[in-house]
This record gives sequence, C-alpha cells and structure tokens, in this order.
Amino acid sequence: MPQPLNSKESSLFRTVVRNYEDKQYKKGIKAADQILKKNPKHGDTLAMKALIMNSQGKTEEAFALGKVALQCDMKSHVCWHVYGLLYRAAKNFEEAIKAYKFALKLEPDSSQIQRDLALLQVQMRDYQGYLVSRRQMLTQRSHIRQNWTALAVALHLNGELSEAEGVLTTYEGTLKNPPSKTDFENSEAVMYKNSLIAEQGDTQKALDHLESAAKHNLDRLAVLELRAQYLAQLGQKEEAAKAYRTLIDRNSEYKTYYDGDEFRDAADKYLNRMLDKGVPSTFANLKHLYSNSSKKNILPVIVQQYIDSDKSAANDEPKRNGDTSKGASAAYYFLAQHYNYYLSRDLDAALENIEKAIELEPDSVDFHLTKARIWKHYGNTQKASEIMEQARTLDTRDRHINTKAAKYQLRNDETEAAIKTMGMFTRAETVGGPLADLHDMQCMWFLTEDGQSYARQGKLGLALKRFTSVYNVFDVWQEDQFDFHSFSLRKGQIRAYVDMMRWEDHLRDHPFFSRAALSAVGIYLNIHDKPLSNGTNGIGDANGDDAAERKKAAKKARKEAQKAEREAAAKKNEPNKSTKEGDGEAKKKDDDPDGVKLAATTEPMTDAMKFLAPLLQFSPKSIDAQIAGFEVYIRRKKYLLALKCLLAAAALGKEHPKVHEQIVRFKLAMEKDMESVPPKSLEIIKSEFKLLPESTSLSQFNDEYLKKHQDSVQSTLSALRVRRLLAPDTATRCEKDVAAVIKLPSITFEEAREALELLRSWQSSEAASFKSSAAAKWPKATVFSSLT
Amino acid sequence: MDIRLLHPSDIPHVQHANITNLPEKQVLPMPQNQECYFMKYYLYHALSWPQLSYVAVDVSRPKKTPYDYPRIVGYVLAKMEEDPPDGVQHGHITSLSVMRTHRRLGIAEKLMKQSQRAMVETYGAQYVSLHVRVSNNAALRLYRDTLGFKNENVEAKYYADGEDAYSMKLELGFIREQILDEEEADEDADEGEAVGDVGKAGERAGVNGKEKSKKRKVRVGRGLGVGELVERNESHKS
Repeated sequence: MPQPLNSKESSLFRTVVRNYEDKQYKKGIKAADQILKKNPKHGDTLAMKALIMNSQGKTEEAFALGKVALQCDMKSHVCWHVYGLLYRAAKNFEEAIKAYKFALKLEPDSSQIQRDLALLQVQMRDYQGYLVSRRQMLTQRSHIRQNWTALAVALHLNGELSEAEGVLTTYEGTLKNPPSKTDFENSEAVMYKNSLIAEQGDTQKALDHLESAAKHNLDRLAVLELRAQYLAQLGQKEEAAKAYRTLIDRNSEYKTYYDGDEFRDAADKYLNRMLDKGVPSTFANLKHLYSNSSKKNILPVIVQQYIDSDKSAANDEPKRNGDTSKGASAAYYFLAQHYNYYLSRDLDAALENIEKAIELEPDSVDFHLTKARIWKHYGNTQKASEIMEQARTLDTRDRHINTKAAKYQLRNDETEAAIKTMGMFTRAETVGGPLADLHDMQCMWFLTEDGQSYARQGKLGLALKRFTSVYNVFDVWQEDQFDFHSFSLRKGQIRAYVDMMRWEDHLRDHPFFSRAALSAVGIYLNIHDKPLSNGTNGIGDANGDDAAERKKAAKKARKEAQKAEREAAAKKNEPNKSTKEGDGEAKKKDDDPDGVKLAATTEPMTDAMKFLAPLLQFSPKSIDAQIAGFEVYIRRKKYLLALKCLLAAAALGKEHPKVHEQIVRFKLAMEKDMESVPPKSLEIIKSEFKLLPESTSLSQFNDEYLKKHQDSVQSTLSALRVRRLLAPDTATRCEKDVAAVIKLPSITFEEAREALELLRSWQSSEAASFKSSAAAKWPKATVFSSLT
Repeated sequence: MDIRLLHPSDIPHVQHANITNLPEKQVLPMPQNQECYFMKYYLYHALSWPQLSYVAVDVSRPKKTPYDYPRIVGYVLAKMEEDPPDGVQHGHITSLSVMRTHRRLGIAEKLMKQSQRAMVETYGAQYVSLHVRVSNNAALRLYRDTLGFKNENVEAKYYADGEDAYSMKLELGFIREQILDEEEADEDADEGEAVGDVGKAGERAGVNGKEKSKKRKVRVGRGLGVGELVERNESHKS
C-alpha cells in the first residue's frame, strides 16, 4: 500500500511524475525534495526520485535510493515498478522481470506494469510468461484487435500454431461487417493467418485460404509468391509454372522464380552488347555461371574472339554499332577478372590483361582496383595497398574506392594511414574523430579488419579492443528489437515482426560475429600460452624473428602509447567547441581506449569464454568454432567439454588437420592428467572417446594419417607437429620434413608461410633456407622477401 | 543477380553496402537527413513497410561457412511518408546504392521499379519522392532519364559539406494504370476459363454460385495524359 500524503503533497507527487515524463529532471528532483522534507520516508517519492536520477546518468546513486525506497515501503507497487525499471535500464532483465512481477502482484490491474513485464518477457524469449501476460491483457481490453493479434503472436512464438490460428479466427468471427479492402491491419492479419496455416504443413488449406481470403490483398507480391510456392509444393506443375511466369513478368531477376532450366543462353550476344557499351561490371554479372565448367571455359573464348575480331576490323565489315571505343579495354578487363577469379586463376595472365586495359584507359578506377586485387592474390600486400591507393586518387569522391583503399592499408598493417583514409568520409563533427564515427555507424568490417591488423602487429590490446567493439555492437543489435515488440503490433506488420524475431534468435551466428570472436579467442589463447611481459600493448612475437625484433617492437609500442597519451592530454585541454551541450546522457569516458587492461588479463581463458560461448551456441556447425572450443577447454582442464568440441569437430571433418592434432593431444592430456579427473567423468570420456583405434599406438596412428594425406601441406604440417610432440628426439628430422613441404605441388604461399611460422616457433635452423626458397618460388609475395 | 525483398536478416550486409558506398557528411542530426544509419533505422523500415525495400544479391559467391548470409550488392531502402504534409499518400526513397563492382548493370533501376510498384499496390501511393546530391550525375541520369523523376526544387546546403540537394518526385499514376490493365486481363482470362462457352460478357454475376462483387475501372482523361482513375462499384449487373 502506498503511504498516504496530504492533498498538497499528492498534487506535488503528480507533478514529479509529470516532470519525469516530460524529461524535466531538475524540476522533478526539486518537487520530490519538497515532499521528502516533510515525509522523508515516503517510498513512492523516493522511488520517483531514483528514477529521475537514473535518467540523469547517476546509475549507482539511483540504485541505492531505489533500495531505500523499497525498505521504506515494501508494499508499494510504485517502488517495485521503479526497481524493475532501474534494472531494465541496467540491462539486467531477469531481475527486472522479478521486480515487475512483485509490482503486479500488489497491483494486478495496472496495465502499465503488465505491459512493461510483457515486453521484457518477449525480449527474453520467456514465451510462456509472455503468453500469460498477453492473455491477461486481452481480457482487460478485448475490444482492441491488436490484443488479439498479440495473443496469436505469443502462441505462435510458443509453438502453439493451431491455437494461434484459432485466436485470429475467433476475432474474425466477432466482426459484424467485413473490413474494407484498404484496411491495412486486416489485410496483414489475413496474410499472417495464412502463414500460420502454411507453417502447420497443410499446404492445400493454405492455398484455399489464400485464394479465398487474400484474393484482393494489399500485399500482392506475397500473394503471388505464396500461391506459386504452394502450387509447386502440391505438385500442380502447370498451374505453378503459370504462377511463376506472372512473377517473372514482374521481376525477371530472381532465380527462385525459375524452374531451373529456363536459363539464359545467348552469352555471345550478351557479351558483345555489354562489352560494346564498355560495362565494367560485365564479369561480376556473369561469374555465377562459373560453377558450370563448360560455361566457364566458353566465356573467355568469346571475349578473346571479341578482341581478335577488332584487330581485323579494318578488313571486315563493321560488326558493332555505335561508339565501341571502350569495347577493347572492357574485354581486357573481363579477361583480367576471369584470370583473377578463384575458379579460373592464372595471376600472370590476369596481370598481363589488366596492364593492357590500363594502357587503353589509364584513368580507370575499376582497372586499378582489379590490379590491386591481383597483387593481393600474389601475396604482396604492400604493392596491393599502393595500387589501391592510386585507384583512390583517381576518384576521391567515391566512397567505395576509398573503403577499398583503407581495407588494403589494413591488410598491409598500415593502421594509421587506414583510419586517415576512412576519415575522408566520416562525419567531421563526431567527437572522437573517425574511429568514434565508425563505432557509431557500426562499421563492422573496419572494426574487424583493424583488430586483425593489430593482432598481426602483436598489439593484442588494441586488437581485443576492436573485437570487443564488434561484440558490443551485437549486444546493441539484440537490444534494438525491444521497441518493435510494441511498435510492430501498433503498425500491424506481423509477418515482418515474426521474421525479425526468428532472425534475432540466432543473431550471433552471423559471420560478422564469428570472425571477430574467433580472432579474439585466438588472442586469448596466445596470451595464455605466452603471458605478456610488458605493460604497453602486449607485443607478442607473432612475426618477430628474434628477441631483438621483439624488443624493438616493444619500444616502439611504448613510444606510441606515450605519444597517444600526450595527444589525448593535449586534446583534453583544448576548448572543445563541437561537443554538444550536456544533455544529461553524455557518453561515459572509456577508461581503456587502447585495450591495455583487456590484454593485461590474468585469466585469459575465462575472458575467452565471453566470445566462445556464443560461437558454440550459435555456430555449432562451424568446425573452426569447435576447434577453438577444444583449445580453450583443454587449457581449462575441462576435459568433458573439450571432448564434446572434439567430437563435434570430428563429426564435421575427421580428417581436418587440426582435428587430427587435437585427437592426439586429448589422448596425451588424459594420460597425463588422469588423477585429476573425477571417476564419473573418466568413465564417460572412456565410453565416448572412440576416435582412436584401440590397437594402434599414437605414433602409428599419426604415421598412417601422414601417409594418407602426404599430398596435403596442412595435413603434413599437423602430422609433423604431432610427431615432434610424441618423439622429441625426432626434432631434426621433423624440421627437415617441414622444410620439404615446399616441394609439394599443391602448396600455396599461405601454406608456405604457415610452414615458415612453424619452423620459427621451433627455432629451427631450417627457417632461413626455407624462407629463401619460398622467396624464390613466390617472388611477388611480400611475406618471404621482407626483413622480418 | 537476384532482385528480391529485403528481409531483416539482410540488414547487416545492407548496412555494409551502405557505409561502403555512401558518404557520411551530414551535420543534421535527424536520420532522414543522413546517408548512413545504425541498424535500428533499417529495422524501422523493414518492419514498418516490409513490402517496399529490396536488395540485389550476388548469388555467385562461394559459401565459406555453414552460416553464410546472402551477399548484398545493392539495395533500396524505402518508406511511406507518415502524416504527409500535403495530405497525399506517397512513398519516399530513404537510400539507394549499388556496389561499384556491380554498377551499370541496371540494378538500381530494377530495385526502384519493384519498390515503386509495391508503393502503389500495397499503400496506394500517388507519388514517390527523394533527395539527391546535385553533383551525382549517375544518380540523376537514373532518376530523371531512366525513371522519369522531375525536379521539385533545390534544397540549399542540404549536405554538410555545403552541397545542395535536388528534391525529386515521380507521379505513380502510370503504375496504377498498369496494375489495373493486368488485373482486367487476369480477370478476363480467369472467367474465360471458368465460364467456358456458357458464359457471355455481361452475364458474369452468379458464376459458380457466387455472388461476385465486381470492380470495373474506368479511365478518365487518359488521352490527355492525366491518368486519373475512378473506381465504380458495379456489383449490380449493368
């Protein structure tokens, strides 16, 4: 029960509430203090004051005061509601739900509390709770269609499809007159109901419903698409084909509409037309044909003929009309892209053709862009970056080429130049400069590439910082759906809402997340294996050849950090005109801008879990995720969990080189650490770990693997790693065998780099000669020619 | 290339295409005057008017993981004007861009046409509006020459770097006509089949035992290029 106030104070209290709603926080505090002067223990006022303080950014004080309010008046629904709102603001949704439930017990008829509770329940995917709330809300206001639809959505999300459909039908039955054709809410409700019928698997019923109830539906495309799809599913081929033809007439560019065979031929005609026009994206438009090897072989022949025909054009009748002056360069450009494509790669041919194209059109951005890509594929990040920069200067107003230039700078570890390049297109007035703007705009590719570049440079703190930023953006994306739980019902767009909910359910399976997360886990593994020795920004020895190199890098990093600190201090003293006036929601200052604290962790394996857990939960079919999981769990001596990852990885690819290594390492770890494992776990492990044949020894197992995969560089490297682990006395031979992989016909420069890194990590004397033979084999790649 | 509706799950890659292609140089704080947005603004479009935004997908990309999302090479992000000041239902193009590697393939035009059609079909839009940098010749060619947009006026210093914007507009009456033509053709065909040789023009009511309420569309002033349409309910046999 709220404590009573006299009439003057009651009206003051209403003012406080109004002030809060109008965001007049100072006035609100003042009015609250006036009440509290006479009634210092008035719970509701204390609670409202806490709520206002929270909006002013004083989170901790607000929580403290919110607790005091509750102590003063445990029976007040206002105090509990506010307590829930405070938790909600702090994103502690579980506690918020508990508080709302207390509030609702005290005041069961409050639609405001009920609504806040329902929204949190659906955000937290507590569908059963949401269902209870929605039933309650429908009972309270059954005259509003939204509440019926909302109950159907709750049932739907809870997996009760036919009940959901039933609710919609019940509502339809209450309508005395049929809704008008332009009633959008009704139009969408019909389509939503149709999707519920289809989802239950009764395609015929869905088709009948569509043809009767949705004939004149406002979402015409959806009706046409669904009808075609249902007909196809029902095997009514002729009707389906007719329906798809209607769709093709609307939009000829959607493969789903084609039955597969109706595919364009006439490549010759098409190519001639496009090349005559000098369309640079012709290749981009045709490369989907490359999965078909005969098409893949025909296309360059046609283009070559096109070029050749031009050479004899003087003798022949003119074959092409109009201005075809750009035809030849477009043709060379096509061939350059063809030979640069992963399915038809011949980099020397690609380079030859792009040079010819550039000769004809020296100012083409696109040609230079492709030239840079060719150099990237050669493994020459330096040259690739230079040429992409050249391409950028040919059109400084185009953000796409600007983006590419920055990306190539990052790939070449020119992090400072890259942010400068990006800054040419970010908002000038953002406090914190281009980097802050890229964070605001959730520029995922930059955060990830920047982090990976820092990781290569051994600046593990900054790398972790960026990956954490990516992690945080995903938190924001998850939070973003919150407003739509109510918004979408008001808008009546139910199918799109359900679509969003389903996507948000597995939001973090996105490669934007897994790429950053895998990189972060990798860094934490590095930190665990080689604890950082200096306090600057965790210079590891990923690339360093020797101790002197590392020292130099550490010194450089320290200097950079000091410089950054000085600059930051200088900035602070500047009168910062562009800062917005304090609006009470000022950004909190980052107390670890360079990730020094992140990298200085003493529990890297615990920290890694933050990234690993979502990887394993949402991307269980990613072999890289399972491999990373094993690495973390084996270090944490969580053998059951390590085994779980290993089994999952083996199911995805038993012959994967890393999986092979992990099988052996798991066995070794179990032999070594048997005593520390609880007997029950040991029993499970024994019954589940069947990846090793019983009668073979580990070295036999390894030898067989090596023999079986002797043509594969990565498998060979894995087997040699294992051999050295099993028999350290074979080290010299292992090193020689690693060096010999350069003779394997299939070897790529990336694999050679891996071999070189392995030799270096063994401090092998083979490294130097391996590097020079690799440099001779890949003269254009930078990794083997550079000094490091 | 696939041209299809934008789904919420496409948004990260749409956002990627957007920030790769479009400059972020506005000072105005309102999202509608910006060119780059955070995810929620895309969600707002996709969940408010799910029929209006389209994407172009590069279907040739090899799968790298079991969790690959379609690679978006172009998109149109569109909306209906909420509470239009002129009281006329109309659409607005919030953002349109195509990756440099896929330009000059007609993708932008195709995206626009799908969106425009849906604006009319689903929301009864009378026209569609947009803003474009006065220096953006490629976009101007598309809007003015290919799609038939007209300049409404110039908004001075619309962009933070001092550049002006053209405010452009396209009347969508021609799409409404097109839709009605198709519907008529459709209905004629449908009834032709259902009725067989029994049915005769003018005796359509009551076919298959159903009392049909039929709409007939009458064009007014088409020859004058007005393209105004009037609907008359003709449920009673004329």
